[in-house]
Amino acid sequence: MRSRKRIPVAILAVGSLALTATACSDDGAGSAEPLESLDIMAPFFSAVPPEEDDPIDAALSELAGLDISVQWVPNTDYGAKTNTVLAGDDIPDVMVIQGKDQAFVQTAEAGGFWDLTEYLASGDYPNLVTENPEVQEASSVNGKVYGVYRARDVIRSSVILRQDWLDNLGLELPETTDDLYEIARAFTEDDPDGNGEDDTYGMINPMWGGIGNGSPYDAIEVWHGSGNLWTEEGGALVPAFTTPEWSQALEYERDLVSNGYVNADYATMDPATWNEPFLNGEGGIILDVQSRAAQLVGLFKEQDPDNFDKYVGLAGQLEGPNGTFAMPTAGYSGFLAVPRAGVQTEEQLKQVLTALNELNTTEAQNLMNHGIEGDNFTVEDGVAVFDTSKQDFTDQVTGAWAQLGMNVAGYNAYPLQQPTEYDQALYQLRLDLQAEDLANAVFNPAAGFVSPTYTTNGAQLDTIIADARIQYIAGQIDEAGLQAAIDNWHASGGDEVTQEINDLYAELN
Amino acid sequence: MTTVLEVDREPGAPPSRTPARRRRLWTDAVRYRWLFLLMLPGVLYFVLFRFWPMYGARIAFKNYIPFLGIDGSEWVGLTHFREFLSNPDFPRLLENTLILAGLSLFIAFPLTIVLALLLNELRLQILKRTVQTLVYIPHFLSWTVVVSITALLFAIGNGPLWTFLGWAFGTDANFLADPDWFRPLILMQEVWKNTGWGTIIFLAALAGVDQEQYEAAVIDGAGRWQRVWHITIPSILPTIVVLLILQTGQILNTGFEQIYLMSNSLNRTVADVFDTYVYFAGIEQGAYSYSTAVGLFKAIVGLVLIFGTNWLAKRFNQQGIF
Amino acid sequence: MNATNHKRFNTRAGRVFDVFNVLLLTGVGLIAILPFVYVLAGSFATELEITTRPFFVWPNEFTTTSYESILSSDVIVRAFATTIAVTVVGTFVQLALTALMAYPLSKVDLPGRRTILSLVVFTMVFSAGMIPTFLVVKDLGLLDSYWSLILPMAINPFSLIIIKNFFQQLPQELEESAKIDGANELQVLRHVVIPLSKPVLATFALFYAVGIWNDYLSPLLYLSDTSKWTLQMILRQVTAAASLSAEEMSSDVPPPAQGIKFAVVIIATIPVLLAYPFLQKHFAKGMLIGSVKG
Repeated sequence: MRSRKRIPVAILAVGSLALTATACSDDGAGSAEPLESLDIMAPFFSAVPPEEDDPIDAALSELAGLDISVQWVPNTDYGAKTNTVLAGDDIPDVMVIQGKDQAFVQTAEAGGFWDLTEYLASGDYPNLVTENPEVQEASSVNGKVYGVYRARDVIRSSVILRQDWLDNLGLELPETTDDLYEIARAFTEDDPDGNGEDDTYGMINPMWGGIGNGSPYDAIEVWHGSGNLWTEEGGALVPAFTTPEWSQALEYERDLVSNGYVNADYATMDPATWNEPFLNGEGGIILDVQSRAAQLVGLFKEQDPDNFDKYVGLAGQLEGPNGTFAMPTAGYSGFLAVPRAGVQTEEQLKQVLTALNELNTTEAQNLMNHGIEGDNFTVEDGVAVFDTSKQDFTDQVTGAWAQLGMNVAGYNAYPLQQPTEYDQALYQLRLDLQAEDLANAVFNPAAGFVSPTYTTNGAQLDTIIADARIQYIAGQIDEAGLQAAIDNWHASGGDEVTQEINDLYAELN
Repeated sequence: MTTVLEVDREPGAPPSRTPARRRRLWTDAVRYRWLFLLMLPGVLYFVLFRFWPMYGARIAFKNYIPFLGIDGSEWVGLTHFREFLSNPDFPRLLENTLILAGLSLFIAFPLTIVLALLLNELRLQILKRTVQTLVYIPHFLSWTVVVSITALLFAIGNGPLWTFLGWAFGTDANFLADPDWFRPLILMQEVWKNTGWGTIIFLAALAGVDQEQYEAAVIDGAGRWQRVWHITIPSILPTIVVLLILQTGQILNTGFEQIYLMSNSLNRTVADVFDTYVYFAGIEQGAYSYSTAVGLFKAIVGLVLIFGTNWLAKRFNQQGIF
Repeated sequence: MNATNHKRFNTRAGRVFDVFNVLLLTGVGLIAILPFVYVLAGSFATELEITTRPFFVWPNEFTTTSYESILSSDVIVRAFATTIAVTVVGTFVQLALTALMAYPLSKVDLPGRRTILSLVVFTMVFSAGMIPTFLVVKDLGLLDSYWSLILPMAINPFSLIIIKNFFQQLPQELEESAKIDGANELQVLRHVVIPLSKPVLATFALFYAVGIWNDYLSPLLYLSDTSKWTLQMILRQVTAAASLSAEEMSSDVPPPAQGIKFAVVIIATIPVLLAYPFLQKHFAKGMLIGSVKG
């Protein structure tokens, strides 16, 4: 008897618990009332995320006119979190979307995000009007702008070399890919460090997955004139890796490797250790973003404080055998989109856009990128000078709040103070090289097109080509093997992707 | 039942259980009321957190878009299963997965038992405890750390192990990129990381062994090896069998992180397994329906294997899991 | 016992084996610990030394800057306390639920036992996945509650089955005699079964504790409130940074220094390491069954 009574009671108890819990969790999110707070979901890179009582939060809330509350997610796991959040019903008002993956595109096309194209074009939000329409176009889904993109430098790629080795050998900074080849040879064979031993090599390449995402190989291929992922040929778009220029570039890369001018572990080296061979005097050339040069200067400063300015040489992008082409970045890194589940009415949307507009003022840019003026930094002669005793806070600002920065209408925050004249000169050189290379930048003509087949199979398709490239360079496969991989790409969905991209190209151009 | 019980039981003691006869539900409920009551929280747990979510697993048959919800998403039937099984890479994925699982089952797993037995034979208590503590430490390092340390050790030119192997065997292989070395490296990492940890469960089993048995065996003149063979091994045999059965159910789960981190363009032909494939084809792209479909497929295979090996174990008079 | 103990090992072959065994296991122990020592040494080394030396077990220049920069944050200290509390409570709850369910299932004559076990095994090979589980946790109102870190993983089917099997192997006559003395099943479990199963329960306490301690997925999915985050979640961005792709490495935010990563590994590992010898005590009680019987 007792058991019969107790079991149902227990079940009932749990059942009612579940019921009340469900009722409680529905806190009225997504009503039509004007917003009182702005919930934003964003990734962070800093060691520790900011807290709710963060001074930047308070200052930005005041600027935006809405109480800003950011749900911080470690950058590493941002994708997983995004998808569970979209599945729930407690959806933030603004979400940083990192890329046009399948879940985002499908949600957007099903009406899950506001189409901002008209609103941004209206001019009602001057700080959200892009100064770079190509980039906004590239961030769109087939012409529909679902978010305010987060602007990035368009030119970042560069050649970084051991200046002291060049000086020892009486060589100049490279201007062409042939110069680079000769320097790589000399760094390997001519004892650039003068220690009498054969213990150096030319170029340092780390392991790199995917194609068209800024690898040293991509750079060399663009310089050879292969185009940037897609290129126009007779009125139609074709993948860059089907061009003869691409094959020519691959041969160049293979020769570098087979002659031993590249580190032996180029297929496996952890990119986190990219600086090490350069710093230790094993390799002398890095093809990567300009900011790495500044990073290396900082490390040499620790190692050899008296001569740190003798080690790092920085060159712009190189002229290839077929002309002068520069590799740009995508120009943006994801965008801030507005989910319809959180922001239900047009009035609310306008509130959100007004707030985002305020977050793009110079004042907000200084807050998000530098911190609190007079606290962790001061302004001297128009440049931001940081208080080193508050470095942790500064790091948190740049690693978290800066991730909310859009800067689509220009970036006007104070420039950073450079520690030495040498650093200042290097910084100026970077700006000059950027301006110079921008004129030759080869953009991806298909950046704004979303091909459904690529959205589902893109990662595998890219891997086919990226693997074949490395295998060819390593001598594991020959021209026929490379061609077989490209055929495999076509057969595994590449043909559909090409078709879809070209349909969009015809439709939207 | 196992030999342990036979030894434990005093001679002449009556068998402790009468076979359950068919009775009416009501009498059962009364008779077992305490047991049912004890089990209730656990059963509720399984219903709430394990089975209720499975209702959501019907996204395997749909084109799930989070924004539309499970019910709002389009029903596509077996499309995802077909797509997976007709993938031209499927045979290669299966082969790679099975080889890695086989290495783990036939080499790593027995090594765990061997290490547990060796530890059990160690008489110096202080050393025993120290070694036990040391060997279980690697379990706490994440695969990220294990893989970066491996890269450090096998680095061409200055890696300590690369240098040593070159000196000892005259090899200058690029261990990290060579497809022939991929599986040995994966196995080595797994053995290093998890063998010590795996012994814990056997040592717990060994702790339950009646010391009197050993003493009685000594009096009977049994040698050391005989004691291990006739007392120690039988006493952990049920644990071994259960672990083995459960592991066969995981045969298609090689784990993602380790393999993903160890794979590169030059060894991908041997490194691609179901878990890495699903990650790139499904999870990274946010294609949850597809990855759920693959998960379901793996579950069915796992289930068949578990029931199969359990049946085999019963045939060999072992306790099994049911 | 000591006398027989000596007798049973003191043959010549036995001694040779002992020497071999001591050497072998010492070697195994060293191999197990060396990479960890590298991480430990690296956490006290300067960034320059980590970059320039391939592998070392003692830093040339000793520095604690990595630890200072991590521990300077109140957030970490708070997360540490949270994690310890959740781990202690969670381990207790999970182990109790598991043992309570394992005990009835160890009775071979329990009606419905096979069905329940089959269903349990099914959950072991198939989990519904991240989103369906998230939706259930949400519907139960557990989002942003510490219980979301404990309850969804309360019973590990693997642990349940192993514990059940251990219970099943215990001598039945002890339970029978307790029942004759008028004990109910709960009392039998508490006073007979659990004391006899201390080694295995200690083992699974450790398994559960480590599971909660290392879990970052539950806090990631279920806790939006940063102030409730556990240690692994707070440190996630640092520990996972090593697996960043080259593309991400080249972003504007420089990756965390190697020294910081090493220090984070040490900070996150040491507490669970400390728990082990504590539980090891129970493993040593190998005479339990014998002594109860005696």
